Amino acid sequence: MAAITPYTYIQCPCSDSSTLGRSSDTNSSRADGADDDDDRTFDPRAPRSNYSLYPLEYLLYCEDCHQIRCPRCVAEEIVTYYCPNCLFEVPSSNLKSEGNRCTRSCFQCPICIGPLAVTSVETKPDPSLLAAPDNTAAPQSGPYALTCSYCNWSSTEVGIKFDKPNGIHAQLSKLRNGGTARLTAKERKERRRDPSYRSSAATEQGDGRSGSDEKLDLETQFANLKSFYQSQLADPNASDGGLAALSDLGFSSPTSLSRIMSIYTGGSLHDKKAKLRVGAIREALEVDEGLQLADLDESAAIAQLHSEGHDGTASTSRLSDQPPNFGEAHLHGRSRFVSELRPIPYLLRTKRSKRCPVCRHIISKPEAKVQTTRFRIRLVAGSYIPSIAIRPLSLSSGSGTSASGSAGIPGALLEPLKPAHYLLTFTNPIFESIKVTLGAPAKTPGRFASKVTVLCPEFEIDANTDVWDEALKDPSGAGELRDRERERERRRHKGEEGGNVSNNNNQLEVGKIWERGRNWVSIVVEVVPAWLRLEHGTEEQRLREDEDLLEIPMFVRVEWEAEAVGDEVGAVVGRDKEAREKRELAYWCVLGLGRIRH
Amino acid sequence: MSLRRPPRGEYIETDTGNKVARKATLVGTQNIMLGGKTVIQPEVMIRGDLVRTIQASSQSGATPNSTAVAIGRYCFLSRGCCLRPPGRLYKGAFTYMPLRMGDHVFVGPGSVVQAASIGSHVHIGAKVVIGEFAIIKDYVRILDGTVVPPNMVIPNFSIVAGQPARLIGEVPEGGHEAFELRDLYKTVGNNPQPAPS
Ligand SMILES: [Zn+2]
Ligand SMILES: [Zn+2]
Ligand SMILES: [Zn+2]
Ligand SMILES: [Zn+2]
Repeated sequence: MAAITPYTYIQCPCSDSSTLGRSSDTNSSRADGADDDDDRTFDPRAPRSNYSLYPLEYLLYCEDCHQIRCPRCVAEEIVTYYCPNCLFEVPSSNLKSEGNRCTRSCFQCPICIGPLAVTSVETKPDPSLLAAPDNTAAPQSGPYALTCSYCNWSSTEVGIKFDKPNGIHAQLSKLRNGGTARLTAKERKERRRDPSYRSSAATEQGDGRSGSDEKLDLETQFANLKSFYQSQLADPNASDGGLAALSDLGFSSPTSLSRIMSIYTGGSLHDKKAKLRVGAIREALEVDEGLQLADLDESAAIAQLHSEGHDGTASTSRLSDQPPNFGEAHLHGRSRFVSELRPIPYLLRTKRSKRCPVCRHIISKPEAKVQTTRFRIRLVAGSYIPSIAIRPLSLSSGSGTSASGSAGIPGALLEPLKPAHYLLTFTNPIFESIKVTLGAPAKTPGRFASKVTVLCPEFEIDANTDVWDEALKDPSGAGELRDRERERERRRHKGEEGGNVSNNNNQLEVGKIWERGRNWVSIVVEVVPAWLRLEHGTEEQRLREDEDLLEIPMFVRVEWEAEAVGDEVGAVVGRDKEAREKRELAYWCVLGLGRIRH
Repeated sequence: MSLRRPPRGEYIETDTGNKVARKATLVGTQNIMLGGKTVIQPEVMIRGDLVRTIQASSQSGATPNSTAVAIGRYCFLSRGCCLRPPGRLYKGAFTYMPLRMGDHVFVGPGSVVQAASIGSHVHIGAKVVIGEFAIIKDYVRILDGTVVPPNMVIPNFSIVAGQPARLIGEVPEGGHEAFELRDLYKTVGNNPQPAPS
């Protein structure tokens, strides 16, 4: 079992079932009042918890609502679109016309998603040639191909070569697999208008078949279908075959109303005109109208499957990486083989700003330029709520070093039924001193209850004063730290002499903090891990996933006094400048300590 | 202090605060630039000898730039990692190109780096391979065992993993400070200090 490092996840208030307005949780089946919050124990194992717990770094903070905000509840707005390969910004106006992929020469390998480089087909693909960050190193003579520098895939494998080493996207959009030309939208339109093209296409096929057997590519078929239906809509008098004019579907039209009336009244209105119009909608009957017979002859695919086997087929993930409508295949002939996959133009990435879902204030906004990492606004939760670091605390229990070994090594397994101690260090990021109150259930929820004792559930942490003030005051701050470390070591040794740690004055004492620093406080949590043994005859005799994980739900309440903000809604009481107002923030978090041996 | 300081420390500490392990292998030191406060652990190899042989045409006349590896401030090169300038054909002849690295770059144990450039605040995990001429921008996290293919560009705030490297996430707004290596710098050297709790 892989060892884990201790972690702290925090629950965002957006997932609080009491604010969700419905109580589907078993935990909150009774009518929820706001003050029930304190009684309800949060279960980190509940399926809903998977979606509400975040490490502190992922949380933002709204200064107006004084609340934590998480990736799930913030409203995102796109600031910039850019290509992750060439790092060029794409104006949002281009997105509508060009789509959400890079239209320069940025492509990914369809086999391994590695980046593709333009190489000359003539020279052998030499790895050192693939390195072409600037054009000076680009191969001198064509034709060119896209080559993967990771798996050596080349676009020549699907018969695609390019005349020029630049503007690959535009060139590729005109090429089918195998190298035959693909019609552009303009060319398609011209060909449709030109009656001579159809006859020539028929003679090209050579066997004199015409009409419905003609192969259309996806774009041509769509264009034909679209123009066919549009011509039907435009012609209200088309009555051959009982064609219903779809234009009558407009809800504002009076004929639409009469038609609907005639349907529901069984024609009792005797509207002859309407009766005429209600009828079967004609579908496309010719290639010109967009008819395309399904090619049900799959013998070629079956033969290929025989020769290439399962390895030759494209996985669903590879197929989903393929850009839509980019290939030549029809819906009923989708590329199913690795040998048909085309280069993937890079999907664009975005820079996004984030809004508070409640008050709509912006709580995170990056600068628009692609290359900069600066933010205009960045209200991260870590600057407002205390961080909680967890460290195993090895206390020698008198019976030799082996006894304490389990908790002393980070990531080591916890021994069942053997008390273990963890040091929780709370660091205060704000410039006011804060009062922290902790609440944790005496037993962890779930089938195997571990005992939990928070030795000091209430304490104050000093303000986060300027680090430089501190450094000037005490030039040998680091040396002091080392002294403290030694002092701690000494205390540990004393504990060993005392035999029973809990009786020793310098050791674990209920209600006392373990250690205090400038803006941090360490306290001790004692756990007695559960015995992960299932009785025989129970329905499930195996441990469920992560049931050996010791996670402590903990309710954290932080209280502090802050300068009152006069213009704030609801803060009318303290108008004078000196006024201080009480602030409070409370949330659930989960302390992941480690895995229990089983 | 009861323990007397050993006469010869494990590290050589330079005027600019670099801590270079005596057991690190730095080849062609005259071509290796260190910005200061950088830690180079034992068994690290830096190939400063792989200097570019062809100068860019724009630089003709100016004094030839012979830097092979340029490292910024507060970088941390873990035990057994290797920095190697990338090489390629340039106007028909093979040449190496400089490897540039910004500030606060962590390179994990056993990793091989052949990138053209690595930005600032970059964390490269253990046993990572970074292919030739890869460009890694700022605030990027590369997880253990990742293979970054040659020429790959990794934009700001990316978290990548896999073989070949694939974008698996974005560095959150609150995760910027975790890239700072000032505290880690203090924990190694001839007078290591414990990490702050
Ligand atoms: Zn939320
Ligand atoms: Zn691009
Ligand atoms: Zn590939
Ligand atoms: Zn808000």
